[in-house]
Amino acid sequence: MAQTLIAILIITLTVIIYLAMNRLYVRFSSPLLSPILTTVLIIIAFLICFHIPYNTYLIGGKWINFLLGPAVVALAYPLYNQRKMLMKHLAPIVTGVCIGLFVGIISGSILAFVFGLHKDMILSLLPKSITTPIAMEVSAQLGGIPAITVVFVMIAGFVGVILGPSFLKWSRINSDMGKGIALGSASHALGTSKASEYGELSFSMSSISMALTAILGAIIGSFIPFFFHI
Amino acid sequence: MNIIRIIVQIAILFGFSFLGDLVHTYLHIPLPGSIIGLLLLFLGLSLNIFSVKWIKQGAGFLLAFLPLLFVPTLVGIIKYPELFTGKGVLILLVVVISTIITMIAAGKSSEVVGNKTKEREQKKKWHKHSSQSL
Repeated sequence: MAQTLIAILIITLTVIIYLAMNRLYVRFSSPLLSPILTTVLIIIAFLICFHIPYNTYLIGGKWINFLLGPAVVALAYPLYNQRKMLMKHLAPIVTGVCIGLFVGIISGSILAFVFGLHKDMILSLLPKSITTPIAMEVSAQLGGIPAITVVFVMIAGFVGVILGPSFLKWSRINSDMGKGIALGSASHALGTSKASEYGELSFSMSSISMALTAILGAIIGSFIPFFFHI
Repeated sequence: MNIIRIIVQIAILFGFSFLGDLVHTYLHIPLPGSIIGLLLLFLGLSLNIFSVKWIKQGAGFLLAFLPLLFVPTLVGIIKYPELFTGKGVLILLVVVISTIITMIAAGKSSEVVGNKTKEREQKKKWHKHSSQSL
């Protein structure tokens, strides 16, 4: 009984804080006020202030987590809506996404190795360019830490939004298609929101690249453990 | 009425996720169940076995509130404060650099392939035109 009450209280509180923060974001629309960031900071402050352990928070939190499965399935819907665009630009999209995945994994592991990072961290880092709900699954499967992966995924997103435009210009990626595929492959949903500023084509290229990166990334991710165990 | 429809449609999406879990467990496919569910739904929609109408609102609702669903997991970084001090900052730097390299590689390679296909199409068109004029 007490457990149910705690769960309901935690869920209600989380949803209310999120909705309030979402309103704040709509009002000021700065990426630093993105509702997930502010909501999480408030909840963490709350837990620390009242000495509530994370596991107690999860009594309610796990019910919210429960919706992640259907949310991942729901990603089929936008991909289905864009299927004509996907077929029309199949070769450049698939090339960009595959090269992006490959370069992302290789550059991440090499840099992590050079900096002497721990194995947990490297495994949490690999899915960083994948959209959050799928990145969490891939991270758990690889043996990484999903919470840390979410932080990396968000940073990858912010890099696309904040540094993306100048690096695209610097590397002379000028076509709307190229910009969309670049942002979607490296910076998932946040990158796609930036790509939408370059126009409709750029937006659909980015959202398709994001979905494909997630699906192919999950497929590659499910084979990586085999290599580690050999 | 709308709320009921959204709830039913989310239940359908749950069904796909559950089906994916079953496939994952019993057919030993290493992919996570929810992603198998995504592929099954996409396949169902593309083959017209399944109508978009049955999931449209539920999917839209879940995707609109997607960031809320990450909150409980992300709150978990409370257990890893070392991420934001000392060596942790290096990791964040790795993420930034690797993301930039990834972005440039994906964008450049797609442009190269895109331009090649365009050239080939133009050549084809040109051939057609020249043969027609002959």
